[in-house]
Amino acid sequence: MTSTGTTPVLTDPGDVHPDAAMGDDGGKKGGVGDRIYGLLRAIPPGVLWLLVLVWSIPTLGLFVNSFRDRSSQRSSGWWTSLASPEQFTLDNYEVVLGASASAGLVDSLLNSFAIAIPATIIPIAMAAFAAYAFAWIDFKGRKWLFIGTVALLAVPLQVALIPLLQLFSGGAHWTIPGLDRTITFIADFDLAGNTTAVWLTHAGFAMPFAIFLLHNYISGLPKDLFEAARIDGADHFTVFWRLVLPLSIPVLAAFAIFQFLWTWNDFLIANTMVGSNPNAIPTTIRIANLAGDFGRNEHLLPAAAFVQSFVPIVVFFALQRYFVRGILAGSVKG
Amino acid sequence: MGKIISTLITVVVAVGFSAAIWVGANLVFNQARYHWARFNGLVFGVGGFLLGVLLSGNRLTIGSEGETLGGFLNWVWLPLVLAAVFAVLGVALTRTDDDRQRLIIAIATGAVVGVGLGLLIQDQYLPSFSPIGLIGWTVAGVAIGGGLALARKKPPLNGVLVWGALFFIIGAWGTADLGAGSTVEAVIGTLVPALALGVRLGLTDNPELHTRTIIDQKSRAVIFLGPALLFIFITLLVPTVRTIYLSLLDNRSEEFVAFENYVTTFQDRGSWDASGFSNFFTSQLFWIGVVLLGIGVVLGIAQKQRTGKAVELGGASLGPLVVAGVLLAFALFTTLRGTIVNNLWWVVAVTLFSTVLGLAVAVLADKAKGEKIAKSIIFMPMAISMVGASIIWRFMYASRDISGEQTGVLNALWVGLGRLSTGSGIPTLIVTIVLGLILLGLAYMVAMALTKQNVGRAVVPGVAFLLIGWFFVRFAGIVGGGVGGFRVTADGQTVARTIDFITDSPYNNFWLMVILIWIQTGFAMVILSAAIKAVPEEYLEAARVDGATQSQIFWRIVLPQIGTTIGVVVTTLIVVVMKVYDIVKVVTNGQFGTQVLANDMFNQAFAFGNTGRGAALAVLIFVSVLPVMYLNIRRMQKEA
Amino acid sequence: MTKRWHKLAALPIAFALVAAACGGDDDGVADAPDEPDTTEAPDTDEPDAPDTEDFGGVEIVITGSERDDPSVGAINAVLQEFGSERGIDVTFIGDADWEANINTQVEGGNPPDISIFPQPGKLAEFARDGFILPLSDDVVSSIQDHWAESYQLDGIVDDVHFGVPVKTDLKSLVWYKPSIFEGAGYAVPETYDELEALTQQMVDDGGPAPWCVGVESGQATGWTYTDWVEEMVLRLHGGDVYDGWVSNEIPFDDPRIIEAMQAPITLWTGESDEEAARQALADRDLPRVFAASGTIAQTNFADSADPLMDGQCYMHRQASFFSGFFPEGTPFADGSDDAINVFYFPDINDDAPALTAGTLAAAFNDEPATMAVLEFMATGEYAEKRQAEQTRLLDGGLSGFLSAASGQDPSVYQPLEQEFLDILLNAELARFDASDLMPAAVGAGSFWSEGTNIINGDITVSEGAARIQESWPN
Repeated sequence: MTSTGTTPVLTDPGDVHPDAAMGDDGGKKGGVGDRIYGLLRAIPPGVLWLLVLVWSIPTLGLFVNSFRDRSSQRSSGWWTSLASPEQFTLDNYEVVLGASASAGLVDSLLNSFAIAIPATIIPIAMAAFAAYAFAWIDFKGRKWLFIGTVALLAVPLQVALIPLLQLFSGGAHWTIPGLDRTITFIADFDLAGNTTAVWLTHAGFAMPFAIFLLHNYISGLPKDLFEAARIDGADHFTVFWRLVLPLSIPVLAAFAIFQFLWTWNDFLIANTMVGSNPNAIPTTIRIANLAGDFGRNEHLLPAAAFVQSFVPIVVFFALQRYFVRGILAGSVKG
Repeated sequence: MGKIISTLITVVVAVGFSAAIWVGANLVFNQARYHWARFNGLVFGVGGFLLGVLLSGNRLTIGSEGETLGGFLNWVWLPLVLAAVFAVLGVALTRTDDDRQRLIIAIATGAVVGVGLGLLIQDQYLPSFSPIGLIGWTVAGVAIGGGLALARKKPPLNGVLVWGALFFIIGAWGTADLGAGSTVEAVIGTLVPALALGVRLGLTDNPELHTRTIIDQKSRAVIFLGPALLFIFITLLVPTVRTIYLSLLDNRSEEFVAFENYVTTFQDRGSWDASGFSNFFTSQLFWIGVVLLGIGVVLGIAQKQRTGKAVELGGASLGPLVVAGVLLAFALFTTLRGTIVNNLWWVVAVTLFSTVLGLAVAVLADKAKGEKIAKSIIFMPMAISMVGASIIWRFMYASRDISGEQTGVLNALWVGLGRLSTGSGIPTLIVTIVLGLILLGLAYMVAMALTKQNVGRAVVPGVAFLLIGWFFVRFAGIVGGGVGGFRVTADGQTVARTIDFITDSPYNNFWLMVILIWIQTGFAMVILSAAIKAVPEEYLEAARVDGATQSQIFWRIVLPQIGTTIGVVVTTLIVVVMKVYDIVKVVTNGQFGTQVLANDMFNQAFAFGNTGRGAALAVLIFVSVLPVMYLNIRRMQKEA
Repeated sequence: MTKRWHKLAALPIAFALVAAACGGDDDGVADAPDEPDTTEAPDTDEPDAPDTEDFGGVEIVITGSERDDPSVGAINAVLQEFGSERGIDVTFIGDADWEANINTQVEGGNPPDISIFPQPGKLAEFARDGFILPLSDDVVSSIQDHWAESYQLDGIVDDVHFGVPVKTDLKSLVWYKPSIFEGAGYAVPETYDELEALTQQMVDDGGPAPWCVGVESGQATGWTYTDWVEEMVLRLHGGDVYDGWVSNEIPFDDPRIIEAMQAPITLWTGESDEEAARQALADRDLPRVFAASGTIAQTNFADSADPLMDGQCYMHRQASFFSGFFPEGTPFADGSDDAINVFYFPDINDDAPALTAGTLAAAFNDEPATMAVLEFMATGEYAEKRQAEQTRLLDGGLSGFLSAASGQDPSVYQPLEQEFLDILLNAELARFDASDLMPAAVGAGSFWSEGTNIINGDITVSEGAARIQESWPN
């Protein structure tokens, strides 16, 4: 995410524009102007916390509603119950956390993990290799291969559902054109209905974006690093392993967060691929089923949404500390 | 408990297996340069194994099915045997540089493998050759192999052997009557190509160190890219090609209709409707946009005189210009209607707002007090599933008949505001006074800035003054009928009206976009924040020593450094937004003029059974994102 | 599902040798090993086995769009009890996105054994495409033993039985609160004219609005209006026109259909002129309608339950399953002051039509176990057991489930549900929900969306009808 192409060094203070947004005017003066200046200084954090407030209202509403029964949710605003917290009930959570006819929560949570963990780790690893190859290994057709790969980012995922389901449920066969002979290349593993089918699908769909994001970062790593390593006789494998991976931790963490979230919260792919196997359904499907026909039990959804969001938020907190300033500090010289 | 363990095993096996293959491949090719024999043995062994898997996996050989050996062993014994034989061959070939010896080794192995495989073919696959087919294909293969080699000005023998063997196999097994033949024919069918390929192998010299180094180098690109490209090929490329093909067929995928699906899509009234365009010049958005445009230009000229620069980023003129652009775009999108217009509107609005807000949070929160809390809250919507988000916003946008209490936050505020402004009690008075004081303060700030000839400083309070002033005028009822959900009818009655966020077209589109903005700002923030954190501290320090202000550091140092990343965020968002469907699906399913391409596609393909039409829409989405991808890649290459 | 093994490989040999000859490429694109196929079910060609045949633990998976806990729980309980007697391991799964998912599963080659179709239209489509299979003779006779002919019709495609009716919804109901009705001195209308007069009377009396109306329903917004239109086509023009309309022999822009589309609008606005009605809808000037969220289009159909209880409106036309949307513990048809009751949506031509909906189970394979399960699902015993179980799961609340199968013990139904059954059995003319019979592009597409446009006052009924007709697939 750094760009080595620009060398941003302020050499000439005269070039500094005095008017830039909320700049100061070169010195503190007493009196009213100073006080206004103080006011202006408070604007940035003010804006930040205003945004935070606005952003949190919807979630807060959901949170409060998750403790209210159905008729309260339907008949009055969530804020009204803040005045009378005695109305709050844990009933919704009891239903959500309890066993249901479609699946138990623990089972569906485990299924979600069985989908989200491989679907996060495997594409990250593969995309990191690929991004490194696109950035630092010279080979013929590299540019066009990269363009082709990234262009597939634009493919709407829905188009792949049927062919992939066919693959998972029937394997891949090829009938030689003109001859009545069919070869099986990928056997019918009967994957459809398994969590494996879901994460394989996720892993494939994630690849273009992962390569795009990681390539952007890895190609921005300083060239002299690689030159130094090559002079020391390190091969690509070692360079990747010893240099690129450790330096890419922030972007890997960022992608890991998103990929985990997307796979954890995915409904469409899981519903298509798991289909009619009750033992493999993840929480999203379980929750959608909880809502019932015509949304009869929609009042359970706020509580369900919180249960569902708990894991991704923990993941976010866990990975947040990898966004460390200055991970490149030692390697870049002005 | 059992479930936990089995889940754990699944995960570990999946991840471990992927890692093992990749690391293993790298380790194998690490041998190429200095341990050629080992490398050759390993590669040949893997090749033999794969051959065995194909034969055994397709149940072509004896013992591959049934209970001969029991379970796993049934199909795995042949691959293992072949792997061993080939590995020995591979090592043996490297042991001598004498051409004759090499040829003998290769031919002998070819003969053993060929005869062995021929004998192992199951009875029901014993071929009865069709002479014409066999000869025809073989001759064709020889011709192609020879031709290709001659065309590249190389000795034809190698090509003839490989292509001839390949086509011989097709001719022998593809055109034969299977099951009717004899073991002799089966042996011929395997022996001939095995010998041909053996000769080909024996003719190859052991490579020099230089060649081996090249093999080592080139192989890395394949190993590094292989797994990712394999996934992409299966999950994306094949389905994409299939979709393009389906889009040229009719809705039941039976007849070829060329571009009819595309024509229908564009002719559909729902796709593109310019009938309301005349309202463009009368819309409020348009006129406010024009005024702001004027202000921006004036300020820009004023600044140009001060700095002598044509364009001044971060200057006072940029704000009004951007806002004006957005308003004009919105004016256009609200007057032109249809699915395609909606999609454009989504792209512009969501991309712009999410990126700008995400950047703002990333910058403002950087090193600020409570950074983690602020970022976590902005990020929170990303963690909430689509089902959760749609429920949340249903609560936000809910409206109730005006006679009762509002259950939606926004309408409660709106109606409450209306009640306040039409009321005459003390609260109304207090609000009026507070608003008045704020206005006075802002006016003072503008005046101070102007007297100091500091136009830029006047912009923020100036804009705030205009906005709050407009609100004050409406609130106090000076002009118009007050703000909020109330209006005064002709007969003097105050009639309440809530905002129909979901059903009131065309602005309902924007309210749907707000949901995605709310979600995606967290995305932009995380990526941009990581980029900001990666800006080397030395740069910032140097700038501070030079006396730059915070905002100058941002515009001059941070922004250029994260430019590429902003490109990534914008590109990603455009792609995400072009493909947006779940919000629309859940909230309106495209009704009330909110249809977007992806949801239309989903409905056509999966609900209405219009495969061709759905495929055409998918291709349309794909194609319309391509220019963005192209620009992006070009920019990245320029920088590289 | 049968597994096919295509077993000739000539090219692979060449492929692998070439790969080896070229010095190696081990990314393994080619193949993956397959395991011995042990799951292939033996072809049972036994003649008609007795009903007690044991299937030795065959698994049968059933999917359907019903997905709330009591329904899924009850269906599973009943089928599993049956399955345990016959050695069949039956599982029912409710699918929140059934409509889209069943298409994907079928095309992807991974359908369930049985699926329960809420739309006969889709069932017919699948039957003609050969995705679902004709029912065995045993199943057909079970259907014929337990279902009146008009219910069987929805499962018959080109004279072949494909669908087993398993659930019936009654649509022609008006929900009201007797205590409020009586308090205001209103009587239950017997004819459509009386209903119109009553509506006007209520407005004139200046009390609460006569009707609660809401058509919002998330992705399915608009279906309530289509139900109204169907009721009116049936009432105004009878069964033949209805059938012609369903098959589009009578197009949407036929004056008779337009009349029926305008009828509910006229009832809500009091304006029989199309343009005047549109204007009233656009201005939200609707004294006859209470819309809980301010406008009809924005009001969720379920949000009409509370106003009906609170007396903000007098009547609400909705199907039998609406009972599930009243707050827990609401009394139904027990004569108490808080009780909610229904009356029959009155007819015009004295032919007592009933608009119904429901679900039909169909088979994706013809294994004997699949047919055995379907044979059971066609019986009154299945319906009765499901009703009993579902009521039990709801602690005695109204289940929302209804079945017109004969041979059930009526005592498992509660008083209100028995009223539903009475109406169903008395109906001389029963028709299935037309929008579920039409092609999805209309029945779950333009009919809904143009309907909401009409209700929003954006277009007149005639304009809407023309647009729907335009969207009818060729």
